[in-house]
Amino acid sequence: MKLPRKKMTASIPSAAMGDIGFLLLIFFVILARAQDDSHVRWQPAKLKEVEMVASPLASVTIDTGFKTYLDGKTISTDELAGALSQILGDAPAGKRYVFLKVHKEAKATHFEPVIAAISEAGGDLVHILEAENISSTQ
Amino acid sequence: MKLQRGKFLVDPPASASSDIAFILIIFFLVCAAVQPETGIAQILPKTEEKTDKRDQSKNIEVSITPSSIVLNGSPLKLPEFSRRLTSALSRKTRDADRIVTVKSSPDTPYPIWIKVSQAIERAGGIITLELESDRVISVE
Repeated sequence: MKLPRKKMTASIPSAAMGDIGFLLLIFFVILARAQDDSHVRWQPAKLKEVEMVASPLASVTIDTGFKTYLDGKTISTDELAGALSQILGDAPAGKRYVFLKVHKEAKATHFEPVIAAISEAGGDLVHILEAENISSTQ
Repeated sequence: MKLQRGKFLVDPPASASSDIAFILIIFFLVCAAVQPETGIAQILPKTEEKTDKRDQSKNIEVSITPSSIVLNGSPLKLPEFSRRLTSALSRKTRDADRIVTVKSSPDTPYPIWIKVSQAIERAGGIITLELESDRVISVE
């Protein structure tokens, strides 16, 4: 006697589709943040009247230990100009944004060579700063 | 006669609550991570080696140290510095005359430097950094 095999149907619950889509969206949002330097420790200086800034092609950070990072990777100031030139490529002027994140305790010896390197690479320098509270200045 | 309405109690499945919590955590983490950044932009023409001292005597000179801002030899506080610089630059019409040479001592803190830099830009000056290695950077 031949026993009929029971048909197994595996269906994806349609209720989960929204969750799956949402998780995929978050996944790609995180991936899109190519220049992830969130692991670099630094504190921004405060300044009155700062503006929202456009997204950069590269990000240079001077951390709490006064080390220089390009897009989250350690780099010497001598190599910085060359590496930046490669990243900026043929991008037109006005769109060659380079974010400069300088730890508030850094001195001129730390940040001036970095500014010189950004200048040498032809980058449009944007100092990343924190808005100063008016109440805290009084 | 009053008809009794049947109660429909729909409990969310308890097994889904951990998924919901996880998704909420990720959502708020991503929101915190992609906060827009604020700052100030500066246009930097390419660095050039300073070979000659052309028109240097005409330029306004600013020296920054941790404790003082010196404008053409006079030490000033930041508000007074801004006033005097604005007044000095208001008489100048050509770009070449609005160049402000900034020389910082090696131990100048970044917050002071950026405040002076902003004051110069607001006064209409074109910043030129004089580095120790004799490189000159113009900042518009």
